[in-house]
Amino acid sequence: MKAGKIRLKDIGKPSEQMVQLNPADFMRLPYPYDKADSDPDFKQLTEDQKKKYEATLDGVLAISIPKPETKVEEEELVRKFLSGLEKLLTKENNWTFLQPLTLSLEYCAKCQTCNEACPIYVGSGKQEIYRPTYRSEVLRAIVNKYIKKGGKTFAKFSGNDIDLNWTTVARLAELAYRCTLCRRCAQTCPIGVDNGLITHELRKLFSQELGIAPAEIHTLGSMKHLKSGSSTGLIPVALKDTIEFLEDDIKDRTGLDIKFPMDKEGADILLIHNAGEFLSWPENPMAFAIIFEAAGLNWTLSSDLLGYDAVNYGLWYDDVQFARVAVRHAQIAKKLGVKKIVIGECGHAHKAISVIADRIINGEINIPRESSYTLLEDIVCNGKLNLDPKKNDFPVTLHDPCNVTRLMGVVEPQRRVIRKICPQFREMEPHGVKNYCCGGGSGFAIMPSMNFPDWRTRISGRMKFKQILDAFQDVIDPGIKKMVCAPCSNCKGAIREILSHYDAWEKCGIAYTGLVEFIVNAMVDIKEPYIEWPEM
Amino acid sequence: MLLLMLSYLGIGIFVVVILGKIIKYFTMPLHVRWELYPLPHEKGREYGGSYFEELNWWEKPIKKSMLGQVKFMVPEILFVKSLYHDNRKLWYVSFPFHFGIYLVIGCLGLIFIGAIVSVAGLSPQNAISVFLQSLAVIFGAVGFMLGTIGAIGLLLRRTFDKDLRAFAAPIDYFNLVFILAIFLSGLIAWFSYDSALTVSRDYMKGLITFSPVVVGNSSLVGHIILLSLFLIYLPFTHMTHFIGKYFTWHEVRWDDRINTRGSAIEAKVNKLLNVKQNWSAPHMKPGKTWAETATEEVE
Ligand code: SF4
Ligand code: SF4
Repeated sequence: MKAGKIRLKDIGKPSEQMVQLNPADFMRLPYPYDKADSDPDFKQLTEDQKKKYEATLDGVLAISIPKPETKVEEEELVRKFLSGLEKLLTKENNWTFLQPLTLSLEYCAKCQTCNEACPIYVGSGKQEIYRPTYRSEVLRAIVNKYIKKGGKTFAKFSGNDIDLNWTTVARLAELAYRCTLCRRCAQTCPIGVDNGLITHELRKLFSQELGIAPAEIHTLGSMKHLKSGSSTGLIPVALKDTIEFLEDDIKDRTGLDIKFPMDKEGADILLIHNAGEFLSWPENPMAFAIIFEAAGLNWTLSSDLLGYDAVNYGLWYDDVQFARVAVRHAQIAKKLGVKKIVIGECGHAHKAISVIADRIINGEINIPRESSYTLLEDIVCNGKLNLDPKKNDFPVTLHDPCNVTRLMGVVEPQRRVIRKICPQFREMEPHGVKNYCCGGGSGFAIMPSMNFPDWRTRISGRMKFKQILDAFQDVIDPGIKKMVCAPCSNCKGAIREILSHYDAWEKCGIAYTGLVEFIVNAMVDIKEPYIEWPEM
Repeated sequence: MLLLMLSYLGIGIFVVVILGKIIKYFTMPLHVRWELYPLPHEKGREYGGSYFEELNWWEKPIKKSMLGQVKFMVPEILFVKSLYHDNRKLWYVSFPFHFGIYLVIGCLGLIFIGAIVSVAGLSPQNAISVFLQSLAVIFGAVGFMLGTIGAIGLLLRRTFDKDLRAFAAPIDYFNLVFILAIFLSGLIAWFSYDSALTVSRDYMKGLITFSPVVVGNSSLVGHIILLSLFLIYLPFTHMTHFIGKYFTWHEVRWDDRINTRGSAIEAKVNKLLNVKQNWSAPHMKPGKTWAETATEEVE
């Protein structure tokens, strides 16, 4: 099937593959990636993988649903899908989102204004199936035809003429993982319809009713988080070793003798990091410790199960898993008797516990939660550290994690910090609440299966890469070292991958790091540079 | 008399169903927060900031600005500002269409007031009546013209813009043609028969006083029939987005109310946490309350 010819009802029509992704169609990138051959071929699935898993959407696998073996199995899946859809529309089963979902299902005017706002649709070279409206319209049609009374009578007339079969359901499941829930589309909708939310609800239906979700998010994600303390596999005993290692490393790099306060009862602040930082970017929790100690804060980490991993994957796909994690986090803060929880550099953890969980954690466990950006702004801008911006005298741009900016309204604190200590700061366009997602949102950054990473770097992260290149066009020479500040673990992961996929360090001298690293790098008392550049 | 009955039916159904919808949305359970910044009531944070930007935000008063909201809403409602910014091509036809509707509603409102004034005994030659009537004529004439242009424009866009056409169903064309017919019949009736809108005012008076009125012109009769039928049809369609938008913006996008201890929100949350969910994936426990589900050990 050719792009541009795809219609809504094609989702239920069996075909080998609805869409063939071809790099030549993708949005063009700026210099030095503006040549056609800058984009090597897109990784295709093997015949074996295609045989085993349902991959007829776009030849990409995010959740890898095994193909059903019998007709009965197929019908059972469709039946369960419908029962889940009904639950999605009831107060008991979905009070958390019923009103926003109902409104979004009932009011789309099909004006397509939202499409141009979507980095995936635009980045892919405008593939029909990636329109924010495509999956929403399919779901809307199913609701109108199969759930509403008399829906079948005028289905053709009202545009709900769609077949609900195994193909539709399986493709919808994959399609629910072709959107980063960045909600840029919703921001432009003149009616307030939220296609990101519809994706979220679709994922929820699959997870809560059919048990279908990417393994990295569910089984190896929120389930592992709840059982072993962290989705990274970092169990509480291992955390202690890791911390000792970080303390030694701080000593080696800065000469400072810092002990991470652990499980300190009655501290003012419980700091929770994305545990991925301890393993992938240890310089980040180290920098936090250096800054907090230098600023004289009364803070602690927790070694309790879940207390050291702020992530909450439920935010992306499952309300129950979400609530389970959020409640545990709040209980840990209560047990320690801290005055507030401060969230480290993890965007979705910000949104999860500060905003969404606000209507889940109730009563005595309702402890105030705050962004670390705000606290860092206070430290940097109110002179609590001795800082020399000249130490950060290289081009810097700032990525805004969607969850923190557009979805929570924390926009200026991180900028005030950067403006104060990075003399060559320049904004990406657009930025702040209008930013583009890093491409790794809604769990994408942690989903390495099959050929999904290829899709992520080439399509969902494409717009971000373009923005980064645009921001540095005047200094794009690889001899000029420059840094992207990405104050979120997931965003950092996604940006790391884009930069490495395109060899952006070698070709353009672009590297990435978090926010606190710039602060420590600017500290006058720390002689050696804290920021480490990749090897040349 | 039949015409009057149809008009009553239209108005009656419109009011009842719309009220029903409003009640339905208002009585839906509290949802978790899902706002989208910028929020126009955040004072001094037009760039999209929120109270979360303040250190220890819960200890400080939150500065809200009703004016900010008004400044945002008036251009949005009157001029569909968001479309102007994000989809200019469509705005060129959507704006006259919507503004035409507002003007026609304004015209009907003026005729209604004129009719009441007249029922109350004021002569049609009185300055107030004349003013109301002249204003109604301006609103009506301009409204019908703009609406007609907008509706034709929207139809053309739906037909010739391939993005819009891909998602268009017969019902979308039907709706547009229906509205176009109302605008056109109104325009024709005004131009050819009731240019001072006196017959329309008399008809309105008839509606108010429950007395039959003879409308001696087929275009005006046609217009009244179409309008009445539309009032019956409209509440059942997505075109009620004029109420939908209130909820999507105020109750979802802009709802940043905090769950403080002892607040009404806390009480609502407590209630909701105690309803039983029924999801059946392996990690769920159907039949347990949300609170139980969220706090049990996972296996
Ligand atoms: S979601 Fe909004 S912007 Fe997108 S097509 Fe529907 S009404 Fe238009
Ligand atoms: S939420 Fe973001 S990624 Fe998803 S459809 Fe909307 S704009 Fe596209």
